[in-house]
Amino acid sequence: MTYKKLMVLFLFTLPLLTSCYDKIELEQQSYVVALGIDKGEDKGSYTFSFQIANPEVGSTMATAGSSEEPKETVSILGSDIITATSLANSFVTKKIMLDHMKIIVVSEEVARSEGFIRVIQSASRIPQIRGSVQIVVSKERASQFLKKNKPTMETRPHKYFQYMLQRAQQTGIIPDADIHRFFQITEGDADLFLAIYATTMKEENKTNTKKDHDYLAGEIPKQGGNPTQFMGSAVFKEGMMIDTLTGEDTRLCNILDKTVDMDELFVSFPDPIKPTYQVGFNYAQSSEPKVNINYDNKANHASIDVVVPFELEIIAIPSMVDYALNQDEQNQLIQKFEQTIEAKTNQLITKSQETYGSDPFYWSLYIRKFFKDVPAYEKGDWNKKIFPNAAIHVDYQLKRLTFGKMINDSKIEEVRD
Amino acid sequence: MIQSKKTRSKKTNSNKKTAINPNTKEQIESLKQLFSAEINKDFCHRTVFVNFNKKNAYLFYYSSIVNSDKIEQAIVRPLLEHDGETYENVLTNESFKIIDTLEQVIDHINSGKVVIFSEGEAVAYSLDVAQFQHRNVSPSANESVVRGPQEAFTESLHVNISLIRKQIRDKQLITTASTVGKRSKQDVTLIYIADLVNKEVLQDVEERLRDINTDNVRNVELLEQFLEERPYSIFPSIYYTERPDNAAAYIEDGHIVLLMDSSSACLILPVTFFTFFQSPEDRYSRFMFGNFSRIVRIIGFYLTTMISATYVALANYHSEMIPLDLMLAITSSRERVPFPLIIEVLIMEVAFELIREAGIRIPSALGPTIGIVGALILGQAAVEANIISPIIVIVSALSGLTSFAISDVSLNYTVRITRFMFIIAAGFMGMLTLMGALLLWIMYAASLKSFGVPYLSPVAPTFRSPKDTIFRKAIRNEHFRPGQLRPKDMRKK
Repeated sequence: MTYKKLMVLFLFTLPLLTSCYDKIELEQQSYVVALGIDKGEDKGSYTFSFQIANPEVGSTMATAGSSEEPKETVSILGSDIITATSLANSFVTKKIMLDHMKIIVVSEEVARSEGFIRVIQSASRIPQIRGSVQIVVSKERASQFLKKNKPTMETRPHKYFQYMLQRAQQTGIIPDADIHRFFQITEGDADLFLAIYATTMKEENKTNTKKDHDYLAGEIPKQGGNPTQFMGSAVFKEGMMIDTLTGEDTRLCNILDKTVDMDELFVSFPDPIKPTYQVGFNYAQSSEPKVNINYDNKANHASIDVVVPFELEIIAIPSMVDYALNQDEQNQLIQKFEQTIEAKTNQLITKSQETYGSDPFYWSLYIRKFFKDVPAYEKGDWNKKIFPNAAIHVDYQLKRLTFGKMINDSKIEEVRD
Repeated sequence: MIQSKKTRSKKTNSNKKTAINPNTKEQIESLKQLFSAEINKDFCHRTVFVNFNKKNAYLFYYSSIVNSDKIEQAIVRPLLEHDGETYENVLTNESFKIIDTLEQVIDHINSGKVVIFSEGEAVAYSLDVAQFQHRNVSPSANESVVRGPQEAFTESLHVNISLIRKQIRDKQLITTASTVGKRSKQDVTLIYIADLVNKEVLQDVEERLRDINTDNVRNVELLEQFLEERPYSIFPSIYYTERPDNAAAYIEDGHIVLLMDSSSACLILPVTFFTFFQSPEDRYSRFMFGNFSRIVRIIGFYLTTMISATYVALANYHSEMIPLDLMLAITSSRERVPFPLIIEVLIMEVAFELIREAGIRIPSALGPTIGIVGALILGQAAVEANIISPIIVIVSALSGLTSFAISDVSLNYTVRITRFMFIIAAGFMGMLTLMGALLLWIMYAASLKSFGVPYLSPVAPTFRSPKDTIFRKAIRNEHFRPGQLRPKDMRKK
């Protein structure tokens, strides 16, 4: 054989050695949509629940899988996420892939324990888990949460989580809580991280006195539908859950935090003239809030001025007070609204200053520029010294008030004569 | 710019010349023997008693390639009846020639001329009465356009040249002929505009034509393979077109066109990658419309080379990049398929190529069959039999159909071969090897030259040009000729 022929033979056999290194066919993998983390029996051991999507349900292939479940939830004891997947292969047929995981559900028990950050740590180490996976804290055990969650409209589980979280985040009742943000805030060691709070358990004995969105998951008086409720947030300080915030407080956090996008939300609050009725608004955050920090280097004291410009569209006035044309009544309405929301915000800020000792608004971003370097910033100590003692003033400013497509309501006196 | 060509050991042409024997009796006997007159049925020899010098004249020709009326009118009758002093006076045809070697005699008879021997003379007279049979000018079949001239070249040099001259009325439009072939001598006509064309390129082409060392080059399709620099390359380096308007457009830019008597197409050189990418209709359509179809062609080019390979790479190595809904759909349909995904893709791609090849070769009466059988096999049946998954039908149909957006036949083959290379490359290590293969492919294209012109010019390396590469400018804003050709006159105005 000539040299040329040998070369060709060599070149063609060389690729065989690569043996298609990490090639894997699609049907040889199981796709985990949700991962649940619960406490195990011993210290340092956990129960991992994998919710696996069944690809045959929901496909157009008429013959296949129509009687099968859309998902399978398996739980297994282990010390970390990846080793648990290989153990799970003793009864799951295919390789368990975490690439397409949408959420990690952590039971409140684990979240409040010191061990949470230890078990979630491996999520940052393995490339399989995306940074965009959302962290959900469930009131009950995570395995129970995943099993009881039975969406009726969306058969495929990943679709349910995708739409559910997307819409709830748009309305601001749950925070944006991806894993990347968790590590960012936790390692920044200055602010509070908000995780999504959810449950499938219903609180029966709660008195129905709450108004608007001031609920936590499980408290919403509702009938029918999926038992799962996503509402409010779990507050994490230094990688440990310390408290919960209601949907309304979570909204305020989303408004004040510039790093979170929120488009619009519907709110109702008591009518200032006829307090038995509620007025319905469409609140729109047209431009970002302005966070202005003045920092006194010597006293290590900061004063924070926040201006929140917003727009309102009135969508319902059941009291039929003529807010549209009567300027006095309109001013009253606006004032009342601004007062109410400012009071609520101040309440939340006071709570975070006094109880939490840190802020859930990611405001440490704006103080950093006053320090020369990282050690100086760490010495200044945002969450122990600066923020709890800061003078904070929040000002909501109405930029535009609209009344929908019709200005006048029906004249109630003329209708009922 | 012009590459120094390999100095080929030039075979000294056997240019020995045999004078014509003044003893005409002997001469015509040897000639008859040379042409095997006894068994060669269409070889004619006639004897005419010439009126003006009262001597015999002997006519030789091939009856199949001459116009016999013309022989009667222009040769036989004048010889029999007219008075005069010499043959030149009597035979007033414009192609009258006096020849004096036997080799010339043979050439002239072979190319459809009548050769006349007069008794006792050491010269012969030749008149062109050739009438080779050919088709009429018909619409272009393989490069059809909606907007633009419809006529295509036909298998006649005279007609073809006339089709070109019709569009370029320029006194500098030159048609020169060189002969190729050792045994059967064929004319290759070079057409160019003398005060535009780059002399070095022209010399290079003429030299290569001279260097062709073979018995017979029957047509331009074969000529292309004798001329090109790299016969094993997957990229074409000579543009082949059957449209005279296309040829005229390239001549006006300073290219050279080669024509032969027996081909209904021409060769254009030197060319670049973008020549093959373009269609004449891009220029006939208005600026917006032409560029729109260029965009469509780019998308088609990308899809046909990359889509199958990308699918293989994503599904086998990067499943996290596929949206979960799509992936679950693929997974569920693949659960009952016995083959690995890359085999599935290859099965469908090969099936498509088979149907395509069969569609070209099948007698036109059977044409509809291929459509029915093809659609059945490629479509429903294969999916229902669980041999392939439905998404493969979409992928391969897309990559097969988009390949038709590449109108040029030569580049079309390039693209189809490339597709298979990319699929196999993607099968080794996914996107990593696919991108590696793409890179090598582009590097190889960049290394090529067509008659000294870099293959990816005027983009890389950059040249001043009419900016008609991927997109084109408005025609009235095109100021220059393609700079990579180094034409004598750069400006178009």
